[in-house]
Amino acid sequence: MEYQFDFGPVLARWPELVQGTLLTIWLTLAATAIGLPIAAVLAATRTYGPKPLRWLVGAYVELIRNTPFLIQLYFVFFAMPGLGIRLTANQAAILAMVVNLVAYAVEIVRAGLEAIPRGQIEAGRALGMRPIRILRHIVLGQALRIVYPSLASQFVLQLLGSSLVSAIAAEELTAVANNIMIVTFRNFEVFGVVTGIYLVLSLAFRGLLGGVHQRAFRWEG
Amino acid sequence: MTSPRRSLLALGAALLLALPVAAQAQAPEDIVKAGKVVIAIDTTVPPYGSLDTSMQPTGMDVELAQLVGKSLGVPVEFVTVTSPGRIPALLTKRVDLVISIFSITAERALQVDFSNPYGGQSTVLLAPKGRKIAGPKDLVGLKVGATRGAIEDIVLTEIVKNNPGITYLRFDDGPSCAQAMLSGQIDAMGGGDYGEIYLRKSASGDEFEQKFVLRPNYFGIGMRKGNPSLLHWVNTLLFTLKNDGTLDRLSMKYRNKPIGDLPPF
Repeated sequence: MEYQFDFGPVLARWPELVQGTLLTIWLTLAATAIGLPIAAVLAATRTYGPKPLRWLVGAYVELIRNTPFLIQLYFVFFAMPGLGIRLTANQAAILAMVVNLVAYAVEIVRAGLEAIPRGQIEAGRALGMRPIRILRHIVLGQALRIVYPSLASQFVLQLLGSSLVSAIAAEELTAVANNIMIVTFRNFEVFGVVTGIYLVLSLAFRGLLGGVHQRAFRWEG
Repeated sequence: MTSPRRSLLALGAALLLALPVAAQAQAPEDIVKAGKVVIAIDTTVPPYGSLDTSMQPTGMDVELAQLVGKSLGVPVEFVTVTSPGRIPALLTKRVDLVISIFSITAERALQVDFSNPYGGQSTVLLAPKGRKIAGPKDLVGLKVGATRGAIEDIVLTEIVKNNPGITYLRFDDGPSCAQAMLSGQIDAMGGGDYGEIYLRKSASGDEFEQKFVLRPNYFGIGMRKGNPSLLHWVNTLLFTLKNDGTLDRLSMKYRNKPIGDLPPF
């Protein structure tokens, strides 16, 4: 093979790689922190709410899950200014990621809610508990325990999916990789290093979230 | 009668014969032997490269690429690339030549070889007419965009470094950068004067104008290093196209201006 590997020029730009990695983590955490509570509320609405609201949440879920994330991203960044809403690249990235994550998380949480036997809810009602208390004390904890592994997977998918936001000039890890590539032309080395970083990030978060799962849900099973 | 086994043997022999050629320097006659010339173009940069209404590539670079194929006597296979993808396309041997508003720079010439220029165009700063921008200093406090890896990115990166306070956004392709400009996400952008034509043709495009020249550029045909025979042939072809008026005709057809001075190096 004629290609001479040289990781030097790529590794010399480590401060940019670290910055990009931190932004990738930050975008994912922010989108998840904002998105999960919204998803929980919308999932409860879609399962127990009045018919028109159920339909509305369903429409939102179908709209987002059946269109490409890149288009949603472009919509937020390039189309919303037409309505006078102008966000920075990072804000637009987080908003698009929240909108996307919520749609998937609603379906995941809903699966958990529907897995709770009706008998438990009826038992709560028989004890005179109000619907909100039934949701909080009986349903939600169990539902979260059931769907936690799926939510953790969705988090990692979100982390990897964030690589798309370089398209609207958010300087996360993939954007940094492209910046380094066009200066050094060390394509194999750049994408080799960045692949490694994504892999380590994913495995680390899977491990971390798995640990949390064992601790937080020890109370049963 | 040819049995499948015999065709397989023939194929194997052909592959064995082809192998040593691939490792050697590429001469024009190797391309002729291969039966096609693979040329990288960018179809997002009118008037140099774009897709016409029937989704066929068209533009000044595209027609020049077709002339290269015609002179070699082989069909042209187009591979579309973006600005950051041009050098990788050559280095990974996906293409034989790059004809894609490929500005000649010393940095790039460390990686690939350039032919003599076949055209030229300044890289400029574009901004709304109402905004007073006379030089780099006036960009402080503004949001400025460029296409990642393009020549304006290289010039603007330097300007941003020397003038703290500029918010700099890099987009992956020209259309995204132009969209950011049109939607008001950035206040100014780097581009060729083709960028201006681009903006002018859009809905609210009349309000943009060229503010100052970032760098005068010349476009060359790019190829892998170590192919002196191919480089010389391409230069010879460009010499003839310049002298018989073909380059000037292409320039008038697509850019509505003469080809201008093309200093060889």
